[in-house]
Amino acid sequence: MTSASKITRPMVPSDEELVERFQNGESSAFDTLVGRWERKVQGAIYRLVGPGEDVRDLSQETLLKAYRGLGTFKKEARFSSWLYQIALNVCRDRMRRGRGKTYVSFDELADTGEAGSDVGPSALELIEARDLSRQVAAAVASLPQEQREVVVLKEYQGLTFLEIAEALDVPLSTVKTRLYRGLGQLRQQLTSQGIRGGAPVPAPTS
Amino acid sequence: MDCDAFRDDMLDLLYGEAAPAVARRLEEHQAGCPVCRDELASFRRLRRDLASWRTPPDLGRPPRPLYSARWYLAMAAGLVLLVGGGLALRGSELRYEHGGMAFRLGQAPEAAAFSAALSAQEERHRREMDALRATVAAAARSDEETLRKVHQMIADSEARQATLVTTGLTRLEERTEARRQYDLAQVGAGLSYLDGKAGLQAARTTELMGHVLQASQKR
Repeated sequence: MTSASKITRPMVPSDEELVERFQNGESSAFDTLVGRWERKVQGAIYRLVGPGEDVRDLSQETLLKAYRGLGTFKKEARFSSWLYQIALNVCRDRMRRGRGKTYVSFDELADTGEAGSDVGPSALELIEARDLSRQVAAAVASLPQEQREVVVLKEYQGLTFLEIAEALDVPLSTVKTRLYRGLGQLRQQLTSQGIRGGAPVPAPTS
Repeated sequence: MDCDAFRDDMLDLLYGEAAPAVARRLEEHQAGCPVCRDELASFRRLRRDLASWRTPPDLGRPPRPLYSARWYLAMAAGLVLLVGGGLALRGSELRYEHGGMAFRLGQAPEAAAFSAALSAQEERHRREMDALRATVAAAARSDEETLRKVHQMIADSEARQATLVTTGLTRLEERTEARRQYDLAQVGAGLSYLDGKAGLQAARTTELMGHVLQASQKR
């Protein structure tokens, strides 16, 4: 036995390597990609369309489309951007078909949780945290779709601006404009609901 | 640097994507500009609030769709089980259609001849057993004669079983192949239906690359 008999090589292939393997006929490479990305995609879909059964369906539809399209995927784009692009299109299609329906659950979330005035401090804190989460969810859901997409991809999925530009097929400057407006609107909405963090130091005079 | 320029690059700073030189310029500007400083600070607080929205832990994994190699293996295994099980549950079938699996219990038309042959065999066995019983009951033969007949029947039975197994295997093979072809066609059709826009997608990806190249050149 020689100590040099095994040379360790990078064990984790990049997305792009896996794409290439898939395109060369190694279909199990897709499983690896899915294992890597499906929860992230699901999280994005959850935040784009709202909670509910649809999230599973839409994730499945996204992955199925990715499977079908990966053979002809041009490797110049990042796989992740391309996958998010599919997810965004799937969500847009769904929301076009069931317009308004998916937001109801967010509105319901925002309407609840006003009954915490006479409970102990720690329980109150818990309720506040839950309320904040719900108010944030409702505020994001109330954004125009273009702004919501950018906020979700940036704030919750952690994509770079360039990756978002790829996924949305728009220039970088457009991404930033949409994000700036989206954040501004979120700040305004959360401030109007008494969320402490969002208020600028000089309080708005609205 | 003026406030408009600060605003253009502020998002890079907010999300940690500003190049070191840009970050330095922005920090210098906000050190002397309370408006921009407050703007950045309020966005930072907003981001902390936004972070409170988490996805529920029970979001779970989506049911694995038709994309995986494992799925195809499972499909193949299922078909083998199906056709094998078909010897016991004659005529039952499992099929993939309209995006789902459907299981049907019943007599498949193509199995009718096969099952008729089986019934005939059973009937013949029964008749022979009856004949044997009658012979024994009559006690008209010697034990040796009975033994010889029993041996003969066992030999006959074994020969029939061998033929039956051969026939069964041949049919199994044929049906597996036919079903496989059918299911592959169904899967193909289903996938095409689900992704009517594959071509559009490819075109969009190509177009996207144009934009990305443009965008990166601008930077």
